[in-house]
This record gives sequence, C-alpha cells and structure tokens, in this order.
Amino acid sequence: MSLLQEEREIILNNEYVDNFDFAEVEEFVKNASKDLFISYNFAKSNKMLVQPRGGFPTYNKMFALYEFFVDANVDVLPCTIDSNTRLNDYATSKKMLRLSEENEVDMLNGYPLVNHGYRTTRKMMTHFNKPISLRHGTPDARLLIETAIASGIFEIEGGPITYLLPYSKNFPLDKAFLYWKYVERVCAKYSGLNEPINRESFGPLTATLVPPCITIVIQLLEMLLSLEEGVKSFSVSFSQSGSMNQDIVMGAVIKKLAKHYAKEINCEDAKVHLVYHQWMGAFPQNKDFAEQLINMSTVIASMVGADKIITKTREEASGIPTKEANAKTVANTQYTLRILNGLPNIVDEEEEEILTEEVMSIMEAVFNDPADTLWRKVFNSIKNGIIDVPFSPHIINNNEMITIRDANKNIRIIKRGKVPISDRCYEYEKSKCDLTKDTTSIVNDIIHDIGIMQ
Amino acid sequence: MNENRLLIDVGSTYFKVAANNDVQQHFRDFNKNIFDDLKYKCEDIISKYQKEDIFICSSANGGLSTLIIGITHSFSLKYAINTAYNSGINIIDTVLYSQIEEVSIPSDLIDVVIVVGAIDGVSGVFDEKLLNYLSQINYSNIVYVGNKDDAPYLKENIEKLVILPNIIDEKLHIQEEPLKEYLTNLYQADIVGKEDIKHLYDITANQIFSTPYIVNQTLPLLVSKFKVADPYILIDIGGATTDIHYSKDLVDDNMVIDNEYDRLVFKKLGVFKSKESLIFSAKNNEFVYELLAYLKVTENIFDEQSEKALKILMQLAIFLVLCKVSNYNKAYVTLKLNALNSLVFTGGITKVLQQEDIENIVSFFYKKILNSNHNPSIVMDSNYDIWTMATRD
Repeated sequence: MSLLQEEREIILNNEYVDNFDFAEVEEFVKNASKDLFISYNFAKSNKMLVQPRGGFPTYNKMFALYEFFVDANVDVLPCTIDSNTRLNDYATSKKMLRLSEENEVDMLNGYPLVNHGYRTTRKMMTHFNKPISLRHGTPDARLLIETAIASGIFEIEGGPITYLLPYSKNFPLDKAFLYWKYVERVCAKYSGLNEPINRESFGPLTATLVPPCITIVIQLLEMLLSLEEGVKSFSVSFSQSGSMNQDIVMGAVIKKLAKHYAKEINCEDAKVHLVYHQWMGAFPQNKDFAEQLINMSTVIASMVGADKIITKTREEASGIPTKEANAKTVANTQYTLRILNGLPNIVDEEEEEILTEEVMSIMEAVFNDPADTLWRKVFNSIKNGIIDVPFSPHIINNNEMITIRDANKNIRIIKRGKVPISDRCYEYEKSKCDLTKDTTSIVNDIIHDIGIMQ
Repeated sequence: MNENRLLIDVGSTYFKVAANNDVQQHFRDFNKNIFDDLKYKCEDIISKYQKEDIFICSSANGGLSTLIIGITHSFSLKYAINTAYNSGINIIDTVLYSQIEEVSIPSDLIDVVIVVGAIDGVSGVFDEKLLNYLSQINYSNIVYVGNKDDAPYLKENIEKLVILPNIIDEKLHIQEEPLKEYLTNLYQADIVGKEDIKHLYDITANQIFSTPYIVNQTLPLLVSKFKVADPYILIDIGGATTDIHYSKDLVDDNMVIDNEYDRLVFKKLGVFKSKESLIFSAKNNEFVYELLAYLKVTENIFDEQSEKALKILMQLAIFLVLCKVSNYNKAYVTLKLNALNSLVFTGGITKVLQQEDIENIVSFFYKKILNSNHNPSIVMDSNYDIWTMATRD
C-alpha cells in the first residue's frame, strides 16, 4: 500500500466519519455525471460562470438554498463550510448542528460537511446536477476534501498560503504546505477517473491593499504546487482591487504568466482558468451603493475575461446574507453579463511591463532559494519576507511592505520591505504617489482605504 | 540506514546499537560504568568501525538541568523554555523576574542559568535584584539572551556570563539558533565532564548529542517509515523521564521556528528512576481508582515488583502524560488531542506493552477525560527506528 493510501486510511478513521468506503467512492467518481465537474463546465460553456457564496448548517436549509439558486439561474453552487469544521473541531460542529436541527436557529455559519457525512450530502449534491464549489478556509483540509469529493463536490477552493495567511495567526505554515500536498495528490488521483477535479486558489487574500504583484506571485506558486502533484485543472483568481485599470492589467499578466510558469514545469497540458471575485473589502452600508459596486465588479470581470465570477450581496455590510439576497445577486449578475457585449480591449503596456517585471523578480527569488523542494522554497520565501502580504494576521508574515492608493485608486508599494522588486519598479510605484505628505496623513489614507467604497 | 555507520543510543536503562538495519538492545549493567558495559557487550561490532563512523546520542546522564529567568510568560520565558526543551535540556524551574525577590532558592546544582527578557531598544530591565538572586544559587554556566542594552551591565557584574543575540526580535519572533547551539555544545561539554560517559569519546570522533534533541530532529522524517498521519504526538517513556514530542498544529499558540515539532519533558514520570513520583502523581489523579478497576487491578499493584506491575505503571504513565497535555490539566502546553491522528510510542515502553495494552489505556483516556470516542492510530517504534533515523542524518 502506498504511503499516501496509508495516510488516507488514518485520516478517515476518525470518529466523526462513518465508515469511509474507498472503493465505493472511486466507483461513484468514475460514474458521476460530467455536469458535476466544473472543469467540464468550463470547457463546454461559452459564457462566464456565475457562482454565489452560501452555506447553512442543516440539510433542509442547504437544500432550500440550492433550490433558490437554481431558480436564479446559478451556474455553480457553493458549499460554504462552517468555522468549527474549518478548525477541525468536529465535536463542536456536531453539537451545533444538532442544536440547529432541534431549534431551527442557525448555530453554525456554514454547512458542517464532515458531520453530515458523504452518504447524506451526496444525495443533495447529485440532485441538482450542477457543479459545486467547496469554500472553507481550512489549513488542514484533508478529511474535509475526502468527504467533499465522496459527496460529489469536484471543485476545491484554497491553498496552503491563501487559506492560511489571511485566516490564521498561529497555524504552522510548513504544516499547511504538507497538508495541502495531500489534498493535491488526492485531487490528482481522482482526476484520472472521470473529468479532472478543479483546484481553485483564493486570490483575494486579506482583501486590503494587496499589491497586484503579491497576489499574482501567490496565485502562480499555488498553481505550480498543485500542478506538480498532478492536478490538471486549476483556477487562479483575484478580487476587484478598487482600480479598474489595475484589474485589467492584473488579469492580462496573470493569464500570461500562468501559462509561462506552467510550461516551465512541463505542465502546459493542464487547463488554467481565471476566477474574479466581486469586491471583497468593506461594503457600503447603503444597499443601493453596494449593488452598484457589485455591478461594477461584473463589468470588470467581463473586461478581464474571467471564466467565473464569485458574487457578493447588497446585504454584505449588515450581516450574513439571506438566501433571497444571494439569489437576487446571482440573477442581477447574470442579467448584467447578458447585456455586456463588445467591450473594448483595454491595454496599458507600461503598467503591464512593470507588473510583469515585479512578478518575475519575486518568482526568481523564490526559485533561487536553496531548498530542495518548491514548497520549502516558498515557505522560506514567506518566512524571509520575499513574499509579504499586507495586513496578514499570521505570525510568520513579514508585514514590512506598505501600500497606499494613488490618485487613480491604483494600489502602489511605497515601502517594499524585503520583497525583491527592482529599483526601477519601486521608483515607478512611488512616483505615482504623493509622498510629500506627513506620516500621519499617509496612515490616515490607509485607514480610510479600508472603507474605500463607502 | 547508512551501512558504514554504527549508531549508539545510551539510555538510562537500555543502550541500543544499530548497524546494517539491525538494532541490538542491551539492558544496562549498573555495576559497571557505561563505557565498560558497552565495550563488554558490543566490542565485536564497535571494533569494526572507525571513530569517524560511530555516532552516539545519550540521555543517560539526565541531561542538563536548567533554570530560566525571564520577564514575561508570553514571550521571553516561553521562548527560552521552548528552545531549551527542543535542545534536549531539562528545565528544573522558571522564574518570573517581577517575582524574583519572593521565589524560593533552588538547592540543587544548576548546570545552566538562562536569563532572557525584552526586545532590543528597551533598557534597564535587569538590576541588582538579579545579581542578588544569582548570588544565592549554585550554577555552573550562565547565558544571557535578552535585550541588547542591558548586556554591558550584566557582563560587568556577572562572572563568566556568556552573551548571545537576543532570543526575541523586534517583531517578537523567536531567534533560537544561537541559544540552541550553545545548549547543545554545553551538553557535549557536560558529557565530557561526566565520569560515566566521557570515555565514550574514546570510540567516536563525532559530537554526542542528547537523545531528545536527536529524536526531535527525526520527526519530520517519520512518515517515510511509519504508518502515521500528522498531526501526531510521539511519547517516549523511559526509565527516568517521559518526553512528548508534538506536532505544532496541535497548539493554538505557536512560535515561528524551524522545526515543525516541539518537545515537552516530564521529569518525574519515569517507571524506574522516578517510579515513586509517578505513583504519587497517579494517586493524586481523581480517575486513578476507576482506571485501576478498568485495568482489573487494585492499588496494591503499586507495592508489587512484577512484570504485571511494570505494565500497569507504563499504562499509568501514558494516562498521566495525556492528562498533563489535555484541557484537564492546564500545564505549559495544552494539546488539541481531539485533532490527533496518530500516537507514536518509543522507548522502553515498547518492550513492555503490547499494542492492545496501549489502545486500551488511550481509549479510556479519551472516554473519561475528553468524553470522546476518538481513536487515533497507535504506532509502536519497537525497533527504536526513530532515533536511528535521526542519527543517520
């Protein structure tokens, strides 16, 4: 028996897992409807796929949510996991699930997939015959991913960096890399049975003043870590940055470089897709403004040529959105996409050149790390500050890079820390900003930016 | 295993000799010194190897006893404790500097005192209170890994003070390498000074490390040999102490260090040299009588000298260490035991207990203490592969 299989058996021998049958799951994946695979939908669809967020604790509420989404013409169903499961605390999620079922009050902020189990969940996931995307934020997602695939969920979001640096303070990053390596291997293993399982990175990161070069580097590295384990369908992603021009440039550069680096590791046969997240920062309290913001995101997603858009709701600033709000935003996004035709192809060569150079400099520094494996090179690069995510709460993040917005709302680097971007690029970034201001004003600008779309 | 190397581990009750994938174990003859005993039993194999190809680790001299003085539980003391444990050092006490005038003075000879506190840029943290305290204790070595600004004052006033870079950087991250290197070198020097062990350098040209340090280094390699899934803990129950090496994702409160695993040592939970304190701890545990009934024995077992009594003591040791790292007992570290996938056992315990004996006690612990049916996989390192895997690298 392979070491991976031995590890899988231990992971699935968990008191909250009801007798996992590997052979039966393989048979299920082999014969599953192709419509359940987002990789298949990407290939056959000639439009941008629309996917909302959403997850409720009980089976019945989750089923009702999906019914709403299907009525609203959703292309991809979400399965957002509750936060106890994300922390591998299945005991608490079990207790809260029971309370939710008994009292009809949602005691969890998502669907406790492990506690429901794959036999139950599969009935729902196969019922609607649409691809489902697993959204979670779990550093150790091994058990969750096994349960998800067994349930018929063939798109797995996340990665060792993007599901750790924005979400966690203490979880060891080196462990996260190893646990995600397991996930990649399992996804690659199942991919040979039917259509490929799609892996999707989480580009928004902290969603606050993350400069495009950092977003792209992390997307590319998670893509490479996934492809080197044998994954054949991968989605890179980013979220609306607040500057339309910068988003368009980012879209062009990430597509170009994803292809370039996949080829570098002889994985050009893998399909790479682009996912765009509607605004991920603080939302306006005014729901009409929120709706305008969402609509603007949809327009930009079209301009960057995204394969999928992930929606937000007008209720974002006031709490967990209802299923009605989620369905409404899907319908609105689909409507906007239908009426967007013949958008101009905008190219900003100077910005593209600068961004490309920044990304390639950082990538080169990562590859030059003397470690013997890519994941260890990436780990060292984060630890050494070569990759620095602004506003990350994680103890390992360097937090020396400082970014602000220029007059055109572009995110600019005014302090590079240890991130190895060239002097030319650094000077270009700074030249776009008014740095004659005193420090207090710059800090106030940053604080203001957290609520920029107010 | 590298065929050109001979690997030797000197424990407090056994020593083990490994070459060509073969591990021999010998119960120590306490009437002889270690070197003579080893030569007597293993002369044939030792004589086949050059000094450069013989690698030795040891926990036989009990390790270095350490006292740490720091200013905060959350940073300075915690960091120094962590580094000391991972260097294979035993901590006899910790002193919070704000309470230094009230704490009792340890009577034992202390091998090394570690003084730590504050980030660079802060000054005037340490004053004559420290000097007064140090003048009352009996120690062999003293090292300072605190703020840079206080170093000249301490250097001037403390004889033989070794000054190393601050263990805390400006972002409150741990900088452990200098202290780790100092402690492992001190361990070597300590061995040279110990009559019982120093002659081991007659047969090796390599540094002798402490066994816990070596085991800690091997943990990232464990998955290549054992059917084990992270997160796991490794429990080494020996004659004198019980060590736990644990995967860092089992704790909420991590530090950024190079190793993915940390170590805890329980000095008073051994089954031979510290048997009395083990029994004392057991009797003070509110579950012990229920546990003894579960194991179908009575408390008279504590007075027995039999194989059965030894087995029960081993099982008690497992139960007690799990209690000590669970929510039941707030110790230095609380581990998230419900997230545990595997429990690995090494040391003398694997020679006494069967897999089912361990499963039995682990299952009792999870049911009684954690109210859970969780069932981590049990792995037995009966062949002492773990320390040989570490030594070969």
